[in-house]
Amino acid sequence: MDWECCWSKTEISREECPYIGEGEEDLYAAHRRRVVEKCIECPRFKKDVSQLKGSGDPLSDVLAYLLTEFQEQKVQMESMLGFLNTRTSEMKFLREVSLVLQNTIDLDEVLSIAMTAITAGKGFGMNRAFLLMTDKERRNIKGYLGVGPKDYEEAWRTWDDIGRSNFTLRELAKNFQKTGLSTEKVKFHDILGQLTVPLNDHGHIFNRALHGKKPILVENALNNPDLDRGLARILGVDTFLVMPLISRNRRIGVIIADNCITHKPITLQDMQSLETFAFPVAFALERASLYERLQEEVAKQKAANLKLREQQELIVKMEKMALVGKITSSIAHSIRNPLMVIGGFARTLLRSSAENDEKRSYLESIVRETRQLEDVLSEVLDYSESLFPVMDFWDLNELIATTIQDQAASMERAGIACYTELSPEIPMVRIDYKQISYCVKTIISTAMASMDQGGELRLESVLDGDGVLLRIMDSGAQLTETAQEALTAPFFQTQEMGTGVGLSLCKTILERQGNSFAIVGRPGGGNVYSIRLLTRKENL
Amino acid sequence: MANLLIVDDEANIRLLYSQELSDEGYQVVAAASALEAVERLETDNFDLVVLDIKLKNESGIELLQRIVKERHTLPVILCTAFSCYKDDFSAWLADGYVVKSSDLQELKDEIKRVLAKKQIKA
Repeated sequence: MDWECCWSKTEISREECPYIGEGEEDLYAAHRRRVVEKCIECPRFKKDVSQLKGSGDPLSDVLAYLLTEFQEQKVQMESMLGFLNTRTSEMKFLREVSLVLQNTIDLDEVLSIAMTAITAGKGFGMNRAFLLMTDKERRNIKGYLGVGPKDYEEAWRTWDDIGRSNFTLRELAKNFQKTGLSTEKVKFHDILGQLTVPLNDHGHIFNRALHGKKPILVENALNNPDLDRGLARILGVDTFLVMPLISRNRRIGVIIADNCITHKPITLQDMQSLETFAFPVAFALERASLYERLQEEVAKQKAANLKLREQQELIVKMEKMALVGKITSSIAHSIRNPLMVIGGFARTLLRSSAENDEKRSYLESIVRETRQLEDVLSEVLDYSESLFPVMDFWDLNELIATTIQDQAASMERAGIACYTELSPEIPMVRIDYKQISYCVKTIISTAMASMDQGGELRLESVLDGDGVLLRIMDSGAQLTETAQEALTAPFFQTQEMGTGVGLSLCKTILERQGNSFAIVGRPGGGNVYSIRLLTRKENL
Repeated sequence: MANLLIVDDEANIRLLYSQELSDEGYQVVAAASALEAVERLETDNFDLVVLDIKLKNESGIELLQRIVKERHTLPVILCTAFSCYKDDFSAWLADGYVVKSSDLQELKDEIKRVLAKKQIKA
């Protein structure tokens, strides 16, 4: 039989087979490989096989079956190989992402890596992605960051730039963090602002994705009555993917990804890949958020320590002041009393001496010199006093905590539970520490006295305009209006009544310093003592 | 004629006060300690007390608190050697306050003012 093709020859020349291309020259002498790789597809070989079929040889039919089967298997093999290659590169990519994410705790860096991975061609190659995160209070999911081009022009420019560069994912992410993150945060500000969804809106697609712990692919959103068209309108696309971010059952947020520029369909495979990717991202985001919160707490702690140190310094200053006060008062007594006696008697003698008495000038000298010494003494004492001003800026919360601690044992004995709600936001108050702590102590004692069967004492500090409000609440017997008035009446009146000196003294102390004090009954029983303290010097 | 009780641990100061205030027309009784003052308060009727804040081994403030508690209509003028006592809120219980001086005019004026408030004449 004459064969049209060269398949039967062990070795052929270049002219005999047009299907062997450049770089495949070794096939000229490799008979078996040439038949499997080239001849099997060659039309002339196929013609020869059909010639064989007409020859009546029984093997000819079998050969045709085998060839068809072989070709089908080959196509399948190639497709599987393609799939395997895609998966392998995906695995490599995910491994790279995981490694990079494992080594970072900076929230911005995690975001840059995650968003670059989704949108870069070297990653999942989506056109655009939005990250939404649950807020600190865990009430809402809020738009946090959007990445991607806004229009075709920007898209082609960016992709062209990326295409020409040969950066790794980490380098791309670093680059993005350095140059793009701040602008991207602003770029999609309008869209992000409209993406806030309460976590308890269980019907919303974000919450459905989070609840089901599975990505949701939204297609044809504008014509699908089952879907919220508003979201599609905000995004400006009708096909997008909602990917939940969950770390150890904790809802971290949601990623929305779409192909707003190319409109390339989002495949099941895209979804699966992104789902695998979402796990390390959610974990890294949670870790970075926790780290950020930890940093905030550390900063708060540092500030508190600094404040504490300042207060300690002030306490040392106060102790010094007390010591100086003791020394000066001791000097004052040991000098002023004899001076007073000398000068006082000289004055008495002077008054009783006759105008022409020659000793009068001596007495006048004694009176004059004594007066001068008294003036010098007053100056020295006033100066030592001015070195340590009584009014200073103090942390009210610290004062409250110290006062409560002093009375903790007696409260426990009286069966009174004490709770505090002290706002960390309040500024320092300008007070005489000793006097205000006396007032707080007196009010607590009065409140405790009204709870002879035990009860609950609550102390709150809050910012109140340009001042700070301290509320002390008891659960004891409610004071009558007359009693309230009597307790806080001006001091001289109360003195006449002979009771409640403590509280009226508090009122006098507080008002002398420009602060206010009031007592009111609580609707459910008990009393509220309110002190409003000033924070600024100019208010005083 | 107003009756004054002077409380001071310095004998010379008691003498000075007694002479000067008697000259002003007051009936003056002097006590050298808080204890003596309490005894005097038990037996005599006074219109005003002139009290030194710092008594030997005693606190004038404590005596002041006792007077305020037991005889809240009796006015008290505090005498001190050091003006920083003005900031001690315990001293605010008193009706008047003077820094000790060889010139007793300030004390005399303060006595007049407090008694006038209580409507008692010398």
